[in-house]
Amino acid sequence: MADEATRRAVSQIPLLKTHAGPRERALWPQRLKEEYQALIRFVEQNKAADNDWFRLESNADGTRWTGTCWFIHELLRYEFRLEFDIPVTYPDTAPEVAVPELDGKTAKMYRGGKVCLTEHFAPLWARNAPRFGLAHLMALGLGPWLAVEIPDLIGKGLVVHREGQGSNQ
Amino acid sequence: MAADWEEIRRLAADFQKVQFADTVQRLSERNCIEIIAKLVQEKKLDVVHTLDGKEYITPAQISKEIRDELYVNGGRINIVDLQQIINVDWVHVENRASDIVKSDKGVQLVLGQLIDDTYLDRLAEEVNDKLQEAGLISVAELCKSYDLPGDFLTEELLKRLRKLIQGEMDQYNRGLIFTPAFVARHKARIQGLFSAITRPTPVSSMIGVFGFQEHLLYSVLEELVNTGRLKGSVVGGRQDKAVYIPDIYSRTQNAWVDSFLRQNGYLEFDALIRLGIPDPSSYIKKRFKSNKLLFLRAACVDQALVDQVEATVEEAVKSGTWTDLQPILPSCLSMEDVGMLINQAMRNVDVQSLARVLGGNVVVSEKFISSCISLFDDAMQQKAHKEVKNNPVFVITEDDMKQVSVLAESAVLSKKEKREAERRKKATEGSGCVKAGGGGNAREIRIRKTKKKGRRDEDSDEETGPSQQNRSKQTEAPFMAQEEIVTILKERVSDCPEEIVSELAEHLVRPLTKAYQEVLRTVFMSSTSSPSGANRKKSMKDLQEEITNLYNNIRLFEKGTKFFSDETQIHVAKHVLKTVCTDVTNILVNFLAADMMMSVENPSSITNEVRVKILGKLSEDTRGPLTKLHNCLNGKTIEDFLTNLESCAEVCGFMLKKGDKKKERQALFLHRQALTDQLKETDDPALVLHLTSVLLFQASTHCMLHAPGRCVPQIIGTLTGRIPTEQQQQLSVYQSLVVKQLVSQSKKQEEREGEELDEEAKSVRSQLVALTPQVKELVLSQRKTSVTED
Repeated sequence: MADEATRRAVSQIPLLKTHAGPRERALWPQRLKEEYQALIRFVEQNKAADNDWFRLESNADGTRWTGTCWFIHELLRYEFRLEFDIPVTYPDTAPEVAVPELDGKTAKMYRGGKVCLTEHFAPLWARNAPRFGLAHLMALGLGPWLAVEIPDLIGKGLVVHREGQGSNQ
Repeated sequence: MAADWEEIRRLAADFQKVQFADTVQRLSERNCIEIIAKLVQEKKLDVVHTLDGKEYITPAQISKEIRDELYVNGGRINIVDLQQIINVDWVHVENRASDIVKSDKGVQLVLGQLIDDTYLDRLAEEVNDKLQEAGLISVAELCKSYDLPGDFLTEELLKRLRKLIQGEMDQYNRGLIFTPAFVARHKARIQGLFSAITRPTPVSSMIGVFGFQEHLLYSVLEELVNTGRLKGSVVGGRQDKAVYIPDIYSRTQNAWVDSFLRQNGYLEFDALIRLGIPDPSSYIKKRFKSNKLLFLRAACVDQALVDQVEATVEEAVKSGTWTDLQPILPSCLSMEDVGMLINQAMRNVDVQSLARVLGGNVVVSEKFISSCISLFDDAMQQKAHKEVKNNPVFVITEDDMKQVSVLAESAVLSKKEKREAERRKKATEGSGCVKAGGGGNAREIRIRKTKKKGRRDEDSDEETGPSQQNRSKQTEAPFMAQEEIVTILKERVSDCPEEIVSELAEHLVRPLTKAYQEVLRTVFMSSTSSPSGANRKKSMKDLQEEITNLYNNIRLFEKGTKFFSDETQIHVAKHVLKTVCTDVTNILVNFLAADMMMSVENPSSITNEVRVKILGKLSEDTRGPLTKLHNCLNGKTIEDFLTNLESCAEVCGFMLKKGDKKKERQALFLHRQALTDQLKETDDPALVLHLTSVLLFQASTHCMLHAPGRCVPQIIGTLTGRIPTEQQQQLSVYQSLVVKQLVSQSKKQEEREGEELDEEAKSVRSQLVALTPQVKELVLSQRKTSVTED
């Protein structure tokens, strides 16, 4: 499903142990801690491989996450905003990542810019719940989706590179 | 719990920190490829990527690797293999390889293979090993075994010859390398073999038999011959037909030629060719430069022989005889060569005009020939006289006349001449002079001289009058046939070989004929051209008289024919035309012919053909009427003839007087007279009957009749009623008897039968004999009466 490099990357992301959603007050911090550790590890890995491609931050209780992601195509960097909420049934249900900028530009997306990950990603997630976390979501969900959709959209002219967008901070 | 959240916050901060930390400035693989591609594209970097795209390699490295591979592979490597080993594009390998070849003199690119000097040195060593083993090695073989082009190999081997390879290459055939030992062995063999040769031997056969190396053989042979080790020479260069001729052979050959020439005085080219001398003529020229040899077509002759021939010829000419050169000439000379030789000799002695070559090898002096001609002088004179007398038409005669009369004459004549010649020969024999030469000859020579003068005159005559000459040429009368001349000559010069005599005769035919013409002409002129001027006029008068007489007679005869029926009339007319009229025509024609020296002594001898011939030669204005006249002779009526005759006479300048009564009567009388005279003399019953009937006819009708014998019955028929009956009966009895006799005679001729017929004939004859005088009397008595009547 994902390419070899991604698979290797995912295998190095530590699996999560705590089975807890935001509702479970006692265990959620534990879970959140593990999420953060996994994310840190994943980002470190990406940076080491010169493959940094997103920024994320959450609210205080860790239920709403926002950030940006970018994709480099033909030496040009395309950057998009992204956001998602942690569902109540998390970690049994995967969060629905949304890229609002691309809302209505591709068929592989639900209303509101929610990226359609279900077909391939949902069974994978369901098989690995609760060991998969947000880092896995990014690596196995959004990453491949971007790699497939963005060049296509650029080719169709639906996504146009904006000057100055290249500065990533 | 709070501690947990604290920790979460701290972790979130860590997360942010990690996220915003600088990413390590490291180029990923794809970036590297992109950068290098960009650099190569902008020509800032010169690298070549391998075929699998995983590596880049610099050209220098390629060169180095190529050299390494070359070394590893022992100095020879295929570029295709190199490309697989180095694993870069073919173009780069090839470029670098050619660069290497360019920069490094020790490396060469041959047939897509890189080859360096070490390899070649090793190759040379290998070749040397093989060479030492075999003694001889061919480049073609090496080419096959080393898979290298021959030129390249030859060149490389040549460079290493005498350094690495102990041997040499043939100068002429660069495809072979051999060792000195091999060459020495070969040389020894060649030396031995060719020393043993004693006769010309084709070199190619030696090669075949002894298995020499062809080109080595030639060079060695040349060397040996040049250094004098082999006594001999090679003829024919280096081709297949080259022949080795040992000196010993040419020495014996020369010795043979020398001795042959010394002994025999000639050399036959064929013999030399048999000896193996390819170009005898030039060989002889080279060999006998100082000798004056006479070169003929198929042989050459020594001066001594020529001298001998000259002497013989000179002697023959001086003595006025002939000589046969056959005995002194080599028998092998061809006729052509003999001719050349004799001609040369005659030229040398300068007697070409005084002698002639007959039969190829017999020289006959002109004196001798002229003496032979003079043999015929007398015969010629006699024959000419006879000819002129008998046959003056010789001038007009062409073939037919010649054949008819001349041959007949000459046959008789030649017999006579032969007899004469015999007689003369006997005379000479009697005088003790059998052989040609001596006194007899001297006389003949004198005659010859005078003769010659005459001939010269004749020649000049001929020159001045070409027309005359033409005519004489056309109408040349032959003197004698060649065979006759031969027989006479044979009797005269008995010791000559047959063919010489015949050839001599051939030579003589023309001069004799010419001389004969001359004699004939002079004789003829003296005999015919004398009656000129007044004489001619007189003869003209006579002719006119004669023609007039005949003309009148014809008219009278014509009158006589009128008494007969149509058929008989035609018969009689034809008879008249054939006899009297033909005579008149002949007289006229002859008269005209006389103008052109063609006349005949006796005009009546002119036949139909001769007449035509003469007519053909007449001038235009006379020819027409005369031709008409001539044609009338074959007609049926006398009237036509008479009218034509009148016009012809006019043309010829004769006056035709129509006879008056008196003349007519005179003619009648003369005719009767002639007939009666004839009648008196004859005893032949048929003629008696004929004459009698004609005379009776004339007596009764007063018309002259000239009729053929077969018309006698008709004449007698017309007489009935005009003469007394007893005479008539007598005549008819006589007639029947004559008829019987004629029949029996013809029968006798046919069958030669028995006695009975004979007896019958006898009785008829006796009756006829008895009756003849009576019948004669009929006319003769009547004549008297008629005369008295008249």
